[in-house]
Amino acid sequence: MRNPECCEVMTPHEQRLFDKMEGKEDRFRAGHSRVFTILESFEGLRPRIDVERAKYFTESMRATEGQPLVLRWAKAMRHIAENISVYIDDHQLLAGRAGAQGRYGILYPELDGDFLGLAIEDLPKRTESPFTITPEDARVVVDEIAPFWKGKTYHESLNLALPADVHKLTYDDPEGLHSRFIVNETSSFRSSIQWVHDYEKVLKKGFGGLKQEALEKLAALDPLSPADNCEKRPFLEAVTIVCDAMAIWARRHAALAREKAGVETNATRKAELLTMADICERVPEHPARTFHEAVQSQWFTQMFSRIEQKTGTIVSNGRMDQYLYPFYEKDMAEGRLTEDSALELIECMWVGMAQFIDLYISPTGGAFNEGYAHWEAVTVGGQTTDGRDATNDLTYLFLKSKREFPLHYPDLAARIHSRAPERYLWEVAETIKDGSGFPKLINDEEIIPLYVSKGATFEEAYDYAVSGCTEARMPNRDTYTSGGAYINFAAALEMVLYNGRMKKYGVADLGEHTGDPCEFKSWDDLWNAYVAQHKLFLKTAFMQQHIINNLRARHFAQPMGSTLHDLCMKHCLDLHTPQIPEGINLGYFEYIGYGTVVDSLAALKKVVFEDKTLTMAEVIEALECNFEGKEDVRQILRNAPCYGNNDDYADTIARDIDQLSVEYGARYSKDLGMHNDVRYVPFTSHVPFGKVVSATPNGRKAWSPLSDGSSASHGADVNGPTAVLLSNFSSKNYGYRSRAARMLNIKFTPKCLEGDDGTQKLVSFIRTFCDLKLWHVQFNVINRETLLAAQRDPEKYRNLIVRIAGYSAYFVDLSPDLQNDLIARTEHGTM
Amino acid sequence: MNPTDDTNGNGIIFNIQKYSVHDGPGIRTVVFLKGCPLRCEWCSNPESQATRIQLAYNTGRCLGLSQCVRCVEMCLSGAISRGEDERIVIDRALCAECTRDCTSVCPSNALITYGVRRTVREVLRTVEQDSLFYARSGGGMTLSGGEPLMQGDFALALLREARKRRIGTAVETCGHVQWETLDEACRLTRTLLFDLKHVDPARHEAGTGVTSTLILENFRRVMEHHPKLHVMVRTPVIPGFNDDEAAISAILDVLAPYPHVEYSLLPYHRLGTQKYHFLGREAPMGEVKLDDKRMASLSRLVAARRG
Repeated sequence: MRNPECCEVMTPHEQRLFDKMEGKEDRFRAGHSRVFTILESFEGLRPRIDVERAKYFTESMRATEGQPLVLRWAKAMRHIAENISVYIDDHQLLAGRAGAQGRYGILYPELDGDFLGLAIEDLPKRTESPFTITPEDARVVVDEIAPFWKGKTYHESLNLALPADVHKLTYDDPEGLHSRFIVNETSSFRSSIQWVHDYEKVLKKGFGGLKQEALEKLAALDPLSPADNCEKRPFLEAVTIVCDAMAIWARRHAALAREKAGVETNATRKAELLTMADICERVPEHPARTFHEAVQSQWFTQMFSRIEQKTGTIVSNGRMDQYLYPFYEKDMAEGRLTEDSALELIECMWVGMAQFIDLYISPTGGAFNEGYAHWEAVTVGGQTTDGRDATNDLTYLFLKSKREFPLHYPDLAARIHSRAPERYLWEVAETIKDGSGFPKLINDEEIIPLYVSKGATFEEAYDYAVSGCTEARMPNRDTYTSGGAYINFAAALEMVLYNGRMKKYGVADLGEHTGDPCEFKSWDDLWNAYVAQHKLFLKTAFMQQHIINNLRARHFAQPMGSTLHDLCMKHCLDLHTPQIPEGINLGYFEYIGYGTVVDSLAALKKVVFEDKTLTMAEVIEALECNFEGKEDVRQILRNAPCYGNNDDYADTIARDIDQLSVEYGARYSKDLGMHNDVRYVPFTSHVPFGKVVSATPNGRKAWSPLSDGSSASHGADVNGPTAVLLSNFSSKNYGYRSRAARMLNIKFTPKCLEGDDGTQKLVSFIRTFCDLKLWHVQFNVINRETLLAAQRDPEKYRNLIVRIAGYSAYFVDLSPDLQNDLIARTEHGTM
Repeated sequence: MNPTDDTNGNGIIFNIQKYSVHDGPGIRTVVFLKGCPLRCEWCSNPESQATRIQLAYNTGRCLGLSQCVRCVEMCLSGAISRGEDERIVIDRALCAECTRDCTSVCPSNALITYGVRRTVREVLRTVEQDSLFYARSGGGMTLSGGEPLMQGDFALALLREARKRRIGTAVETCGHVQWETLDEACRLTRTLLFDLKHVDPARHEAGTGVTSTLILENFRRVMEHHPKLHVMVRTPVIPGFNDDEAAISAILDVLAPYPHVEYSLLPYHRLGTQKYHFLGREAPMGEVKLDDKRMASLSRLVAARRG
């Protein structure tokens, strides 16, 4: 073994950190000075809560009670568009914010307003993702906003609607303010799973054109039909109102830009402001004509979408390199644009995104999304609707931007397919090597056939866009789905060991009574007990989802989102309608703690039932005392076969567990009228889920994080990254279509990827990932030493970006818990 | 049994390491064979030197005698006894004859054996798991050690079986082996990684225990008999042994007639130190470190001479 010293190569990302400490200017600053200046104006600032959206929304909703919900929502949007403060930021070329300058988050009282009183006190003190609020804004929340929503919020309805047996695995208290972290509902803090709009429609038709379509449909309604008059008419009127709202909001920005230009003394800035004014007068009402107009139009649309409703993990950006390309190509050909000016515009968008924080006011939501996580995924690469390679000059520009502008927004997703050009993969690999964790990779070869099998056409499936963390959406065919259950299967395992109880919850009978585990005679007895608990959790999750699907439409409407959806416009139905004809409803439930459960079952099978090194009683005795004084028992358990090593012993158990879920999904999704499929994407929830689970038979100590996504347990994957991919493959049930995303994190030391040779090897690794038809992979290229140093001295490392569970965050924004979790992950150097 | 089928042949290996990216082209799996004719002071794999299976004890992993005495109770030969500081003491001379597997009772893998007997089929079954990665990257299996050709029949059988399974191969050799074995390995392997540590016979002997004579002779014969073979020559740069211009220049002189041969320097590191301790030995090189400036200047020399 010839091992070079492990830390002799720094990633460019690390090099920049060290340069910054030594006071050197970022080597890319000169080429991106505008966006660096904007970035420096808010970097490291604590986010604040802006209450305007909630205030105007509440004002309008108060005035429209009794009317059809979609119409009320549209009126509220218009009221906001007319009244909310508008801003033009210094140096910015794009206009449009949903709240105050700096980093900010906004409130959605219709969703979870019952938490508001609690949250206003708690948020500034929270260790995970704190926020500030001014005393005046706090007063508005407490006196004006919260009282109106009392008893009306979605969360309160859901809390009341859950039957007792579902409630007890969902919430820890009668009001449902705290999660049990067992079968955790997410709809009350995310409202939707995730979403991505068909932005191309806005660029091509403008909201004016879309309004015209609605007016024509209104004119064509049957004037005598009660259905047309009671259902379709309000919907179409709502469409016309939000289209107007968009134009009103944009024109207010135009006026402000002109006003600012009037007093601007710098001639260059004055000209920029006048250009912005012209553009904001044109878009998004009218079709975009230039690249700048297209980017502005898209930006207004996504920002207003954030105002319209909370979207899980923030609304995504879709296939930007595709829908912006015609504008780019035309402007370049006609000499209106250079590569640098195009880059500057899109980076003005990134730096705008970085200021909007996905604020979760419920404690559960905050715990799920540590580090102010948000995922406005921008998708690049992939294939065209007729299955050709889709990479173009903009694809490469986006990758270049990610290498040169050190920002963790947007969440860049690169689609990979079997004929992806070598240059594309090379640049993707070089970007990954940069060390900020981008882009994440999403595999066409898994998703496209799977989506066709779920009912999409090839054209729709080829055109999917990444949405949120790892999901793929077809913006005109998918229909909206509420956030699904996050299920703590490590809790199911614990209930096997304690006959339906958990240490955390004492004598509460939460699970099935599967008997005293010391009486189990064989592995089959143990397995069957696990299956019983597993199925109880699935049943609970599906009941939750059933209730949520029907409850949602009574609380939410999304007229702007619906305007952009072919099927909503065709059938005159809001996107929140539980069943939209011709739609494909792609939802999921989440398996949390996969590696933890697989390794625990494998350890018990091997140690207790095969080798008989320990008895079940000895294992449980050690677990009950959290291995205090029982380190020998812990070591014996830890050294049993583990998932993530391409070891059939553990991987077979992993596949059997997966099968329990896909089979259940295949059988009972029909009842829900949707695809409710198994997914393995925890965000950061494996940390709070771990906090309710006592010691587990894989040697994991009580209350520590569970394994994340479909990755191996911390430190358990000792055979390197090829084995991790192969275990992931082996544990999937490719015969079932009821599967969804699997998130997989792999960490490399820079030394592994050094030089062109290292890049080439990473490209080969990515191609093999594609061959294996895995859904997702992302890479952390970092030195452990860097992370430890960052933990010791957060001030110096405040711009250190790291990958966690499907997104990047600033390392120093994470709680100490999660920092330790990250450091614990096995490094795949060739040590 | 078919006389030409040697897949049941077996040998002693001490590790199979997947995703190795510094041991030949592409993504590779390295099979480490035990046994080496050299005794390099700087060896980073001390467990590779003896051909026999060896007991190793990692004090850092040991739970301590107050927590666990399983190995002491298991040992009937008296080789393992209670020592100070919670640790055990191993009398390795008493150990040699024993067949009881004391490592199997160790909960924390503090007590392990270096070396396990495996058949050719077993090794290739593991190696073949990553065949998709080899196909995509131009990688494959690398035989390393120790000196893999010291277990000549086993090494050649591994190469033959890999060829049958269409797995690319590389062999790392110190060159101090029988020519017939090396010659056959060159016929079977796709890449040969040949170490040249020092040209001077006496200096070589002082550092490794053997002179450079056979090594240089074998290298010349490889060049002569296998002119089309992909050969990568490497020199571990060792402080006080060959970290000077004269030593590296002399190696470059040997290589001068063979411009197609790839050449690289491998800087000395101390990552093997722990393993000496596991085997109850002191690391011969102690705390010595390679000087970065020296290394850099030697790299420049190589770059200047080899282009």
